[in-house]
Amino acid sequence: MQMGRFLNYRLAGWGTLLMVLGILPWLGISSNLTRLLFTALVWIIASVAWNLLGGVTGQVSFGFAVFYGLGAYAAAMGINGGLHPLAAFTFSGLVAALASVFIGLPTFRLRGPYFAIATIGVSEAVRVVMTNLSFTGGASGYRIAEHGRFRPLEHYYTALGFSAVAVVISAWIHESRFGLSLQAVREDEEAAADIGVNPLKAKLMVHLLAATLTGIAGGVYARYAAYIHPQGVFGFHTSVAILLMPIIGGAGTVAGPVIGGFVYGLVQEELVAAFPQFHLLLYGALLIVIILFEPQGVTGWLGKLRGFIERIWRKSATASVG
Amino acid sequence: MDAADFVNLMVSALLLAGIYAAMSVGMTIIYGVMKIVNLAHAGFLMLGAYYVLELHEQLNIDPLVGSVLAFPAFLLAGMLVHWTLVKRIPVSDQPTLASLLLMFGLWLVLQNIGYLIWGSSDRSILTSRTLSSMHLGPITIPTVRVMVFIPAVCSLGLLEFVLRKTWYGRAVRALMQNRYAGRLAGIPVEKMARLTFGVGIGFAGAAGGLLAQLYSFSPDFGHGFLLRSFVIIVLGGLESFWGAAAGALVLALVETFSILVLPAGYQPAIAFSLLVLALVLLPGGIAGIFAKKHRWA
Amino acid sequence: MPPLLSVERLTKYFAGLAALQDVSFEVEEGQICGLIGPNGAGKTTLFSIIAGSVSPSSGTITYSGKDVTRWKSFQAVRAGVARTHQITRPFRSMTTRQNVEMGLYFGRGPVSGSTSNEVAEILEGVGLGRVADRPAASLCVGDQKRLELARTLAAKPKLLLCDEVCSGLTETEMNEVLDLLRRSRERGTTILYVEHNMRAIMSTCDQVVVLNFGEKLTEGPPMKIQNDPAVIEAYLGKTAAG
Repeated sequence: MQMGRFLNYRLAGWGTLLMVLGILPWLGISSNLTRLLFTALVWIIASVAWNLLGGVTGQVSFGFAVFYGLGAYAAAMGINGGLHPLAAFTFSGLVAALASVFIGLPTFRLRGPYFAIATIGVSEAVRVVMTNLSFTGGASGYRIAEHGRFRPLEHYYTALGFSAVAVVISAWIHESRFGLSLQAVREDEEAAADIGVNPLKAKLMVHLLAATLTGIAGGVYARYAAYIHPQGVFGFHTSVAILLMPIIGGAGTVAGPVIGGFVYGLVQEELVAAFPQFHLLLYGALLIVIILFEPQGVTGWLGKLRGFIERIWRKSATASVG
Repeated sequence: MDAADFVNLMVSALLLAGIYAAMSVGMTIIYGVMKIVNLAHAGFLMLGAYYVLELHEQLNIDPLVGSVLAFPAFLLAGMLVHWTLVKRIPVSDQPTLASLLLMFGLWLVLQNIGYLIWGSSDRSILTSRTLSSMHLGPITIPTVRVMVFIPAVCSLGLLEFVLRKTWYGRAVRALMQNRYAGRLAGIPVEKMARLTFGVGIGFAGAAGGLLAQLYSFSPDFGHGFLLRSFVIIVLGGLESFWGAAAGALVLALVETFSILVLPAGYQPAIAFSLLVLALVLLPGGIAGIFAKKHRWA
Repeated sequence: MPPLLSVERLTKYFAGLAALQDVSFEVEEGQICGLIGPNGAGKTTLFSIIAGSVSPSSGTITYSGKDVTRWKSFQAVRAGVARTHQITRPFRSMTTRQNVEMGLYFGRGPVSGSTSNEVAEILEGVGLGRVADRPAASLCVGDQKRLELARTLAAKPKLLLCDEVCSGLTETEMNEVLDLLRRSRERGTTILYVEHNMRAIMSTCDQVVVLNFGEKLTEGPPMKIQNDPAVIEAYLGKTAAG
């Protein structure tokens, strides 16, 4: 574990980002910007989470909305039942974690695309059930009756806190043995087993972690929105958003999902408002471009840029010497 | 429920099975030859529906004829898509993540094109057949279902003929079994891939046209059928044609008879649950159980 | 003393074809046992079954007195049975060092706090020190074979299954690998060793098992095998590489 490099270089970068985001509300940014940042931060939690399973471990799920939605409903019902918000979010995480085991056990036997399709099936099935379930409000949705004033900063800092936790967990995994084993599972599951990794256990563990975080994201969102419905939190478009962000930003990296989350969160709202007819086209085209030309997403592109700059730097250095 | 009701439901299910089979064949071919899970299949179903709608409304072409006309149009479109997009991603004997995401991106684009051109309201194709029914003794069948079933089954029969009796068909089956060996045997793999992708999309467009006569549709039309296609293919085994037909039958039967026990709202969940169950319990599909008999080759 | 590994009447069918038929033999602890046979004889299948990647159709495998017939490969590794692959399977996205670390972290262990020394030692031992931080995908074939072996050795196996570690190597490289195997044996590792190179087999093995068409043809010390007419006949057409 190259602790020296890890601690100095990256920590400074992340720390700065965290401080900036922490101070921004005090500098008097507009409530609209606060809302946008909040949305981005919630998405970042889910994006980082999905990336652990999809990017690092290579198990691409097209149905992560199931955890988001379960977390949303769990928190909503918990808060209505008198739970303190933090307890409600814990409940969200637990429900999602439990669901992840039930979903993962049968589906992880499936190869790549089959797994992806199965996750669509699971998520949609849950959505349909929730749409028909009367005690959760069915298709009309569910309201949270929370007393007291709406405090946007409280929601903002909750989201910031959890997204920071998510990033720390992600960074830790990247440097750990567990992370190495996940990478091995992604690359060559059989060879990983042949060297002592239990692939199913590894997948289930990362799935549980990712689901918990995503469930919490759903819970944080639910409390903010105070109204949730199945078509929204369990919707296929939610699963799409959750997977688009890390891919745009750079799957398999620590920074990628965060970049993707900011891009999606900040741009999405404006985009949908300004060009409501084009956003699917844009995301689809972006996905196509990324797959064809830069599968590593933004981080890949940044890496190439850095390499390019380094080469120019070196050329100018040798030129001046020679 | 008496015998007449039962027979009615049975016939309904059979008719539906034929259409479902035709709908999923496009995906089966593309997967079998190229190992690509074509998520954009849904988008082409949708475009096929609108294509036939426009032919019907602008040129007064009967939707059945329109569906047949859709095949060559979508064949060309599919070949174009392959030439511009699909051939740029690495091929493999295993389905790749890149192909999955690429097709998914394409689907998003197609959906948006649909919204841009036709808006988001539901449309349907109405002809004189739409509301009439046929009566054969105790059985009552909506005419349109029969009229759609016939071309569906004919197209499947035609496909089976092509696969068994023509050079192209043999080449396709060879590539499905072993791409590398096919190349060594002199099969022009890239051209075959392009043509086959086109055929798969052609079937999608035509099937979309047929489905449009049964259901109302909007640009996210393909969504439900995408999942149903997966169920069918997985039930039937992604590489076996007769298996896909069997899968279509199972799905159609389960869907049709489920209205007896489940409230209508839960019905979509059936396909989804069946999908997951099938994926988990039958990794080789139904055809995997009847291993040697019903494979492409 | 009971044998470390005992294979009894092992049979494996793949879609109706018998890849292995009633194969039985034993490997004593501390031996280097060679497994030879023409291509398609079933050697790699046998390895896969012993190592846990594939389960047999019938028969038993006993390791250290325990029935391990249907164990999974990661369980095998934890118990001390690790294999190399005939066609190398390095983790291409990782560096050479990280590949070896995988073996160390997930093998039989125990793993002490700081592993960097141990990893460096293993890398030097196979001659990969200079490419330690290069991505595994950039290694040449010879180095990839060495990496495969290093990674497997890092898992500290009691029973090492080597699948054609010498193929594709030059004479010098091959001698280095064989030296490595002998040193491992001196440290207490038992080795079961598939190889086509006769010189390698003759110079390292204590006993040799011969497979042909999925069945055990014969077994015995190398000199006896070398002169066995049935073995020679089974190999007719094979180039005498050494």
